[in-house]
Amino acid sequence: MLELSMHILDIVQNSLVAGSTQVEIRIQEDLPKDLLVIEVKDNGRGISDAMLPRVTDPFVTSRTTRPVGLGLPLLKEATERCEGCLEVYSEENRGTRVVARFRLDHFDRAPLGDMGETMGILIAANPSVDFLYEHRVDAKIYLLETREMRQVLGSIRLDDPSVLDFVRQDIQMGLKKIGAATFPKIMEVLR
Amino acid sequence: MIKKTKISQAGDNRMKLRDLAEHLGWELKTRNLTIEAEVKTGYASDLLSDVLANSIEGDLWVTRQTHLNIVAIAVMRDLSGILIASGAEPDPDTLEKAAEKMVPIFRTTLPTFEVVGRLYQLGITGKR
Repeated sequence: MLELSMHILDIVQNSLVAGSTQVEIRIQEDLPKDLLVIEVKDNGRGISDAMLPRVTDPFVTSRTTRPVGLGLPLLKEATERCEGCLEVYSEENRGTRVVARFRLDHFDRAPLGDMGETMGILIAANPSVDFLYEHRVDAKIYLLETREMRQVLGSIRLDDPSVLDFVRQDIQMGLKKIGAATFPKIMEVLR
Repeated sequence: MIKKTKISQAGDNRMKLRDLAEHLGWELKTRNLTIEAEVKTGYASDLLSDVLANSIEGDLWVTRQTHLNIVAIAVMRDLSGILIASGAEPDPDTLEKAAEKMVPIFRTTLPTFEVVGRLYQLGITGKR
């Protein structure tokens, strides 16, 4: 996939198919360590111990036997292409945690993509799910929580088109403010 | 008499970026840049490290990537230009940096496979 936000959308779809009511997306950019960590944590059905070691094998995938598509194999490949790795932790009936690590400034690290659009779509399409999106750049933090938004919005529903616009813009501006890395810095040659 | 713009067979051939763009209907995204460079060879890939490792000076690079780093790769490898395939739009800061570093960027609505085929027909090869 050309953008990390597409991977995130895919992994969160897994969470939703697994019946999650809470999905937490955390992105951390650690500049001194040249590390980018994307974590998606849900409270869905989870993956059985027997299936867990095989979730990144694209050929055991069958949508009738488990709610995982090509999302995890492709994300694994994306991490390994830039000296990172993928970890999947899961407990049946408790939830799943996917942790993707990338070298932040590796040439082949995919650009972040439009997280505003991605979160806007996820929230608007699943207004009853509690989403949390946290993005850290070293000590700077951007945070969006739908639980908090619901309190402020009162009678306005999360699938109202104005909410989609708000989420999109709030994230786009918020990420700019904390200096989120949209793509790897390989520009030394251009300075 | 062979006319200057005559289309010939694959092989040792040279066409200017301008001729290719006109002939294949590409949109020129960068302004005020010369597109008179002659192109003999090309490379197609969306993996930046692969392009860095395997492209050669003067290549026209066909890719679906649109972010600023494509300009960095083109400068590092001295590529003649970048053709963005499948109708993708380059990011605004990509175009800004491309203008500054004099890397012409074109755009085509055709997918990579299709546009590379047409380039090959015009004599642009992937010879290394």
